[in-house]
This record gives sequence, structure tokens and C-alpha cells, in this order.
Amino acid sequence: MRWNKFFISICLLTMACQVMAKDSVEVASEPENRYNKYVQKAFDRWDMLIPRQFIVQNAGNMGALSAGIGWEYGHRGMWETHLLFGFIPRHESSRMKMTVTLKENFIPWSIDLKEGWSVQPLSASIYLNTVIGHEFWKSQPKRYPDDYYEFMSTKFRLNVGFGQQITWQIPYKKRRYARSISLFYEVSSCDLYIRSKIIDHSVPLKDIIGLSIGLKLQTL
Amino acid sequence: MKKYLILSTLLFASCGDMFDTHPYDVDTDGRYHLNDKSLEIIEDRYANKDTLRIAFISDTHGWYSDTKDEVEALNQRDDVDFVIHCGDLTDTGTIKEFHWCCDILDGLKVPYIALIGNHDFLGTGDQTYNVMFGEMDFAFILSRVKFVCLNTNATEYDYMAAVPNFDFMEEEFTRDSTDFDRTVLIMHAPPYSDQFNNNVRKAFRRYLDFFPGLMCCVYGHNHNDYVTNIYHDDLLFYGIDCAEHRNYRIMTITPDGYEMEQVFY
Repeated sequence: MRWNKFFISICLLTMACQVMAKDSVEVASEPENRYNKYVQKAFDRWDMLIPRQFIVQNAGNMGALSAGIGWEYGHRGMWETHLLFGFIPRHESSRMKMTVTLKENFIPWSIDLKEGWSVQPLSASIYLNTVIGHEFWKSQPKRYPDDYYEFMSTKFRLNVGFGQQITWQIPYKKRRYARSISLFYEVSSCDLYIRSKIIDHSVPLKDIIGLSIGLKLQTL
Repeated sequence: MKKYLILSTLLFASCGDMFDTHPYDVDTDGRYHLNDKSLEIIEDRYANKDTLRIAFISDTHGWYSDTKDEVEALNQRDDVDFVIHCGDLTDTGTIKEFHWCCDILDGLKVPYIALIGNHDFLGTGDQTYNVMFGEMDFAFILSRVKFVCLNTNATEYDYMAAVPNFDFMEEEFTRDSTDFDRTVLIMHAPPYSDQFNNNVRKAFRRYLDFFPGLMCCVYGHNHNDYVTNIYHDDLLFYGIDCAEHRNYRIMTITPDGYEMEQVFY
């Protein structure tokens, strides 16, 4: 139900953008006044919502493969927000499942190398993944006694990860759809696995972490 | 370029198990029908053994070190024929927990079978159990004793499934009736517990009377070792403790009767 509301709001927002875009043609030719400044400011604000990145990555407890859009902001774009859509193959279960991930990255340093290459030695991520399906619940359903499975949700997984990336600034003449391209890897774990490790330290660290490799296009 | 592509593909393939798709991805990694495979060995070895000695363990979820010690303790004995796990192999039903638990139980030098516990249902855990272990209700006969393993986790289905499955019980009253004269009933959640469909707990007790020579019932779930006649009659229920409390029970079945011994490790 809440997801429906979310999607409807997104649709309305997109429609609003189109309406405003039509208006802009008439506004541009008029002389500057307070209204025009307001319109400009409004456009600048809405511009921030335009996705600036395209990301594709595998694994990471959010499906076999995920792809989505992203925004970078803050000082030198050291903060990133990704919205990813992935799928879990059927394997031996009853069906394939879709997942949605909201991911926040913090990339504090960038070291410039030769010929447009640069390295980001650390990226720290925290991300919330949700899997779509009737098997999963947000919090324990009413059929259970109080505090039965209170510690968890089967639908939402909180993950943390650390990684590195290498970026290539595409030379101006060669640019077509993106201005830079980054290859990254990430080592991550999810709340349930970390919990297992806390309950019993004998769970090997290598068993609770997983690798993920991805590609990021800076499209705008 | 081509060289790099081949190299990276090889690298990618070699670390395939380093990529985690999802905790509930039901990737059983070739572990299929473990109960059937174990039962094949058990029935082959002990179909006509005079004295059967079965180790009952339960609720190992999360306590991997204790479970390892339990396996080691059982391996030091030479008298155990096989092991029955009364359910709750995992704490949250994730695929890795199933694998971790199986990795440890695979260390047993005797075969083991496992029932499904309520925690094993979480997420896609029930599907994982179905693929890895098999049916949730099953029965087998050794030395003229029928062991009936029942799924009693009704709360996990919101009481909307046939749990406990009376049709299955009815079939087991008479299936291969010439091959057994005694019965042992094994389940995860006992009657009157938060998982049992308590609307039918008395009907359930009546049904038990139809099992030829019912000796006793064995269950897990409650995380304590407890012997009681739940229905205040002559039928004994043995509660098997969790791994954290570091004890198990050994059931010795002879042609004249049985003994149930609690062993600490």
C-alpha cells in the first residue's frame, strides 16, 4: 500500500516537471523580474532530482545483478545516493524475486593519476535492501505472540560495505553518453549475518562478507 | 584487450562463491534431499538391529560453537546409530545459516535427519528446507518401530494449513502395518506451545491413540530438557534441550522397551 503511494507520488512529480518545462519556453523570453527569479530557482531545485549517474553492479546481497540511477552531491561530490533495482534468480525457490535498494556512499578522497585516471581509495556504504514478495514481512505479523521475531524483518536488510574505485575521465572529444566511468568493488555484509557473527564468534568472517563488482557512469 | 577479458572472466568464475546474491536466495549449492539420503543409509544399516540407539539434539540455531562441541561429543561415542535434529537449524532462515548448520552436522560420523523448526520458516527458509531436506512430514521404520516425524509449526502458516497433518497421520496408522508394532512420534513444537495449533490439541491426542504401540513423543522448541505427560495421562513427552545448554538425549530402543538418557557434554 505504501509502495503504491510512493510510486504515485513519483509519477505526479514527473508530470509536474513536464508541465513546468512547457512553461519555461514562455518565461525565457520575458524580462527579468521577481517571478522569473523564482521560476529559475524552482528549476534549479528540481534539476537536483535529475539522476546524474547510471550504476550496474552484481551481488552484494541485493540480487544477482542490480542496476539503477544515482546522484552525487556535497563537497567534490563525495556523497552519493543510489537507487537500484535488482533481481534474485529463482534457484530452487518457487519464483524469481525483485529487490529495490537505497544506497548511500561516502567517498572522501580522490587521487588524480595520469591522463584523466583517478583512484578513490575508500568508499564506505550503507544500504537498505527490500525484497518484493508475499513471503516477506516488514515486521512480525499479528499471528505471532509479542516479541517473537521482534529483532528482525524478513523484508528489509540493512547492509554495510567498504570498497575502492578507479575512474576514467572520458576525453572531451570522445564523450557521448557519459563524462566519466568508474569501476568499483565492494565488500559488504548484511545485518543478519553480522548478528550471527556477534552471537557466535566462531562464524568465519569470510562467510559473512561478500564481494560485489560494479560499473558507474557519470552521465551528467 | 581479449587477454584481459579472458583473465577477468576466469577471475570472476573462480570467486563465484564470494558473491552473495541474497540471504533468502534459496541457492542450496547441490544439497538436496538430505533426509532421504540419510534414511537410505539408516534403513540399510539398522533395519533389523536388536537395539537401536538414537541421539536427539535440537534448536542449534545460532550456537555454532556449542553445536560443534555436540557433534564432537557424539563422535566420541561408538554406540550411537544415528542422530535426529528436532528442528530450528537456523535462527533467521537464511541460506548461509542452513549451510553453516549442515557443514557442522556433516561432521557427524553417523547419519543425521532433521525436522523443520519454526525459525527455519523465516523468509524463504521453508522452501530451502524442502529442497535441502525434503518433506516436512515423513516416517520410517527400523527394527519394527515406526518413527513418525511431524511438522507442528502451525503459527508459521497462520493456522491456515493442515498442520499437524491429520491425513498424513491417518495414512501412517496403517501404512506398512505388518512391518511395525511400535511407534515413536517426533515433532518440533509440542501441544500447548505457541506454535502448535491448540484448537486441535485434544483431537491431536485422540489421533495419537491410533498409532500402534505408541511409546513416547519427542519434541524441541522450548529450549529446556523436560519430561512430562503433557495431557496428564500415560503418554510421555520428552523435550530436547537447545545446543546452548549443552546436553542431548540418547534413546535406546530394545525389543522390550526403551530408555531415554540425558547426556551433558
